[in-house]
Amino acid sequence: MRTFDWRGWLRRLVGLWRSSLQLRTVAITVLLSTFAVTIIGAYMAISVGNNLFDSRRDELLTQSAQASDTVQKLFNATAEQGAATNIENAARTAFTAVLQSSASTAGTQIAILRAPDQTGARVPNDVASPGLQPASLISTALEKRVTAAGASNDTPRVYWQSVAIRHDNVVDPGIVIGSSVTLPSSGRYQLYLIYNLSDAQQTLGSVQSTLLLGGLALIVLIGAVTWVVVRLVVGPVRVAADTAEKLAAGELERRVPERGDDELATLARSFNGMADSLQKQIVRLATLSQVQQRFVSDVSHELRTPLTTIRLAGDVLYDQRETFPPATARTAELLRTQVQRFEILLADLLEMSRYDAGAVDIDTEPTNLVRLVEDAVDSVSSLAETRGSELRVVAPGGYFEAEVEGRRIRRILQNLLGNAIDHGEGRPIDVYVDSNQSAVAIAVRDYGIGMTPAAMERVFDRFWRADPSRQRTTGGTGLGLAISLEDAALHGGWLEVWSAPGEGSCFRLTLPRERGTTLRSSPLELPPEEDRGDDDD
Amino acid sequence: MRTMNARILVVDDDTALAEMIGIVLRTEGFDPVFCADGSEAVEAFRSSNPDLVLLDLMLPGMDGIEVATRIREESGTPIIMLTAKSDTADVVKGLESGADDYVVKPFNPKELVARIRTRLRPSPHTSADVLHVGDLVLDVAGHEVRRGDGKINLTPLEFELLLALAIKPQQVFTREMLLEQVWGYHYKADTRLVNVHVQRLRAKVEHDPDNPRIVMTVRGVGYRAGTAS
Ligand SMILES: Nc1ncnc2c1ncn2[C@@H]1O[C@H](COP(=O)(O)OP(=O)(O)OP(=O)(O)O)[C@@H](O)[C@H]1O
Ligand SMILES: [Mg+2]
Repeated sequence: MRTFDWRGWLRRLVGLWRSSLQLRTVAITVLLSTFAVTIIGAYMAISVGNNLFDSRRDELLTQSAQASDTVQKLFNATAEQGAATNIENAARTAFTAVLQSSASTAGTQIAILRAPDQTGARVPNDVASPGLQPASLISTALEKRVTAAGASNDTPRVYWQSVAIRHDNVVDPGIVIGSSVTLPSSGRYQLYLIYNLSDAQQTLGSVQSTLLLGGLALIVLIGAVTWVVVRLVVGPVRVAADTAEKLAAGELERRVPERGDDELATLARSFNGMADSLQKQIVRLATLSQVQQRFVSDVSHELRTPLTTIRLAGDVLYDQRETFPPATARTAELLRTQVQRFEILLADLLEMSRYDAGAVDIDTEPTNLVRLVEDAVDSVSSLAETRGSELRVVAPGGYFEAEVEGRRIRRILQNLLGNAIDHGEGRPIDVYVDSNQSAVAIAVRDYGIGMTPAAMERVFDRFWRADPSRQRTTGGTGLGLAISLEDAALHGGWLEVWSAPGEGSCFRLTLPRERGTTLRSSPLELPPEEDRGDDDD
Repeated sequence: MRTMNARILVVDDDTALAEMIGIVLRTEGFDPVFCADGSEAVEAFRSSNPDLVLLDLMLPGMDGIEVATRIREESGTPIIMLTAKSDTADVVKGLESGADDYVVKPFNPKELVARIRTRLRPSPHTSADVLHVGDLVLDVAGHEVRRGDGKINLTPLEFELLLALAIKPQQVFTREMLLEQVWGYHYKADTRLVNVHVQRLRAKVEHDPDNPRIVMTVRGVGYRAGTAS
């Protein structure tokens, strides 16, 4: 349950990320600037820390050197006076002197220890600040270095080491500085000053927190600035996108407000310019198509009336041809057939020009395509018989209802069947019908003369016929397939051809079962697999 | 009504076509009368008293639809429209204004004559003299429909449509069946003919045309007569 919610949330977030340029820009900017600020901040914190430590150390080294000098001078003076008690107390005196000198800051601990390489009596005794355990803070390494320096009288005279000072459960950073001093009568001693650096640490801490706060504030500021800037840019773009959508939906009057002279105003202006010319074009085309439509319907009416008269006259003459002399009788016959041909041509031309004018509406209803195919086959069966072609319908079960306009599909089928009979050389003609969930396909296969690839390229062209002199039985204006193609396209369907010279042709019509869906594939192969099982009955 | 020498008024502005139609009609034994102007058509109708009117939809003066409406106001005489366009709203408008049938140009003589003959033929023969549909009484011989004492004026086509349903009250008629029985079409024809005339019939015989009791709709199939009460 919880994971499910989490997923939904994630999906919503991803959706928002994808859909909002503003969110994406702000997020990326904030991310990158966080990265940059972190690096810069870290570098600054480290270098400030180093500088702070270096300068404090140098200062303390100078102080220690002074303290060392003081102690040395004190020791020298004590040796000159030579009194035993003085010598006994030399270390303590020196300790007090160092404690009081400017060399000591608050919290500084002091130890004056006899160098480990000195032999003889330990006079004076070691002195150390109360509570200081020299062994825990002064490492042997430091001690050795100081000892070695004392033995060889080397420069530098002071040596240092960082230490952690533990007191009351707190650990403070500290520095131990050691130097070698000599009490002429009794030997070498070592002066150790242990400074607590917690004040420097505090300063560093406050610098770091300032840096952190500054960095955070900077990031928030950058985010806010980006948000505002992107908003300024994205806002008009969003308005333009909304307007474009409205335009596409047909609200041709929509425009983007134009403000100022900047790039966005230029965008708005050119957008509006585009919309203006688009609107002008559309209006122009609409009027043009209206004019065309009216012209077509006028032509239709004007031509049809005289054609009706001619047709009636032709038929009246034809009915009486037996009473005419042979030549006149033949004339009457020719008149009648040519008028019929003219009629078909006129109807085809009008149909074509209606397509060209975009003045075609489709009026679909759920139709059983197998029934439609059988109807079409019936209507050409007598023609097929005179040519000796057997018509076979192969229709395995399936979903055969499709939303089509029966009149147009019947017209396509009649043309395909007519063509197959015309070019089928009297061989059988197979009509396949098959379907799947989304599409229905009808294929008309003949085994006649077929076509060359060059001819296949042109079959759907208007007025194109492979061999105009060929005897025709089904009209023959060469507009049939052009109209069929338009009819198929009007349904959102396909009309395709396969052919090979001498092997025959196959025309496959594929239609979506529901209006408005796009076809992906056809339920039938092109040409369909031959079905040899059904010849027996 | 006799088919022989039936008088037919041809209203068409194209004189050549009108004359040609006249020749065809005369060969078939009809008696044609002509009128070339829409505005004179109603006058010509009154003076010639034809058995049937052939009416071009596009006419100067007054268009065919208007003429059909005017003629229907005074008579139920069959009207067949001549139209150059079958797929336009004009055809439906013509049918709604009372035309019984239409023929699309270019037509051939046989088609035209067949349409005319169907409209002029006598009603189908029935054994019963009187039929009941809902609260209506059909007097078959007298071509009359009565509700109580009042007579309802139907055109011959509307009467025939109602009669076809009433003769077989049990049967559901598809539009195609009605097209064949009433309009004489033996092949697929325009089902708008049935739809429009059922509407016109209902407007005359139903108490509430939105809730028909006489001509009932059978969803997805067609129509049937309401049960007699
Ligand atoms: N099944 C086929 N086999 C061989 N050639 C064909 C076949 N179908 C069409 N064609 C070729 O394509 C040409 C164009 O066909 P289309 O149907 O467009 O015109 P048409 O049949 O000649 O005339 P219309 O169909 O307009 O009466 C045909 O003339 C023919 O040459
Ligand atoms: Mg063809």
